Amino acid sequence: MHNVTFALDSAWRVLLTCLILGAGLPILFAAGIRALAWSSGGEPTVTETGVAVPAPRPAGKVLAYACFTVVVLAVLLGITFIVASGFGKAITFDHVIPTLIDK
Amino acid sequence: MAGRSGSHDLLVSHEFFILVLVVVTALGFDFTNGFHDTANAMATSIATKALKPRTAVALAGILNLVGAFLSVEVALTVTNAVVKIQDKTGAPKAELLSDGGGALLLIVLAGLVGGIIWNLFTWLLGLPSSSSHALFGGLIGATVAGLGWAGVNWNGDGSKLDGVVGKVLLPALLSPVIAGVVAAFGTWVIYRITLGVAQRFTDQGFRWGQIGSASLVSLAHGTNDAQKTMGVITLALIAAGDWTDTGAVPLWVKVACALAIALGTYVGGWRIIRTLGKGIVEITPQQGMAAQSASAAVILASSHLGFALSTTHVATGSIVGAGIGQPRAVVRWKVAGRMIGAWLITVPAAGVVGALMWWLGHLVGGAGGALLIFVVLLAASAAMYLHSRRRPVSEHNVNEDWEPVAPVSVSG
Repeated sequence: MHNVTFALDSAWRVLLTCLILGAGLPILFAAGIRALAWSSGGEPTVTETGVAVPAPRPAGKVLAYACFTVVVLAVLLGITFIVASGFGKAITFDHVIPTLIDK
Repeated sequence: MAGRSGSHDLLVSHEFFILVLVVVTALGFDFTNGFHDTANAMATSIATKALKPRTAVALAGILNLVGAFLSVEVALTVTNAVVKIQDKTGAPKAELLSDGGGALLLIVLAGLVGGIIWNLFTWLLGLPSSSSHALFGGLIGATVAGLGWAGVNWNGDGSKLDGVVGKVLLPALLSPVIAGVVAAFGTWVIYRITLGVAQRFTDQGFRWGQIGSASLVSLAHGTNDAQKTMGVITLALIAAGDWTDTGAVPLWVKVACALAIALGTYVGGWRIIRTLGKGIVEITPQQGMAAQSASAAVILASSHLGFALSTTHVATGSIVGAGIGQPRAVVRWKVAGRMIGAWLITVPAAGVVGALMWWLGHLVGGAGGALLIFVVLLAASAAMYLHSRRRPVSEHNVNEDWEPVAPVSVSG
C-alpha cells in the first residue's frame, strides 16, 4: 500500500503545479492574444464613403506583450530547470528571484 | 577494446560478441524509442499545420539530441525500478557475473528485443504505447525467465515510490488523468477567453504557442528517455568487464544514444503521429497549445518530484483532455479505447516476448543463442516493416481526414 500513498501524495502536487503552469501559462497567452485583437480596434467596416478602419488601441498592445513576456520568461525558467537538473543543480525560489544551487 | 578479444580465451571473446549484440540492440531500441515518441511532442503541431511535417520532426530530432546531452545525471540504476539485476550502486549482481557476465547480458539482450518488437508492432498498428513500458516489460519478462519471479522488484522496499507498482502501474493510471484534467481546464478557459476574437489573431498566435510548447516537450523527452538506454548499455559494459565506473557513462555511449534517439525522432513514426494528431480529436491551435503545455508541465513537474512516467501516456491524456474541454468537440472514444487497451497489455506483451527470447537464447546457449535471438529480432523487424509498406503513412498523407468522406482508392 505504501506505493499508493506515495503516488497519491506526488499526484496532487503534480496536479496543482500543472494547473498553475501547464494551464495558467497558456491561459495568460490566450489573454495576450485577446488583448492584441482588442488593440486593433476591431474589424474594418464598409460604409457609404469607403472602408472605415477603426482607431487602434495602443494599451491593448502593451498588455498583450506584457502577457507574452511573462509566458516566455516562464518557459525560459522551465528550460533552465531542465538544464540545471541535468548538471546536478536545482532552482530555488527562496530569494523570490530564482537562483541556481547545488542539489 | 578491439584488441582484447585476441589475447583472451575463447569464453571471453564470446562474451565480447554478445556485448556487441547488446550494444547494437540497445541503440536499436533507442531509435524505436525516438520514432515512437515523435508524436508525443509534434502530432498536434502537425495536425493544425503550425509546422510542416518535415520541419516538425527535424525540430523534435534536434531538441531530442540536445536534450540527450543535457541529461548528464547518471541513469545507471535504470533497471532497478523493475528488476533485481543490479545493486544500489548500479553494479551488476555478483551472482550474474560468474560466467563472465553472460547471464546478465542474455537477460538484457532478451529484454531489449522484447521492447523493440512490441514498439514496432504498436507502431504498425498506429498505436501510441509507452516505450519505457516496452523496455521495462521486456526486462521483466527476461528476468522472470532467467531468474524466476523473485528477480522482479514488484513493490519496492517501502521507502519510496518504487517497483513495478510504484514506477509503472500507478504512474500509468494517474499521469494521463492529471494531464487530461490540466489540458481540459486550460482548453476550456482559453476557449472562453478567445470567444469572438477574429480567427486571424487566434490562428497565428496559438500556432506560435504550439511550436514553443511542443519544443519544450521534445527537449524534456530527450533528457528523460535517452538516459534509459545509456544506463542499459553501461550496465552491459560493466557486466562484460569493459567499464568499471558506476558513477559515469562512457562518452561514446552518450553520443551514440543521443544520435540514435534523435535520428529515430527525425525519421518520425508517421502512423502514430496520425493517430494522435487526427485520430482522437479534430484539434484547433488553441487545443494544441493547451495540450502541449499540459504535457510539458506534467513531464517536468513529475521528473522534479521523482514520479516516473511515460511521455506517451501524458501526451495522449492531454489530447483527450483538450477534446473534453472544448465545447462541441468530438472525442473518438473508440480510438482512445484502443490506445488504453494497448497501454494495459504493453508490459505483459513485451514481457512475454522478452521471456521467449531468453528461453530461445538459453536453449542454444552462449554466443550462438545471443546471435539467434538477434536474428529473430531482425526478421521480425523486417517483416513488420514490409507489412507497413502495404498501407504506408508518411509526411504526405499524415493529415488526411481520419474518416474518409468519400471512398478513396488506396495506392502504393
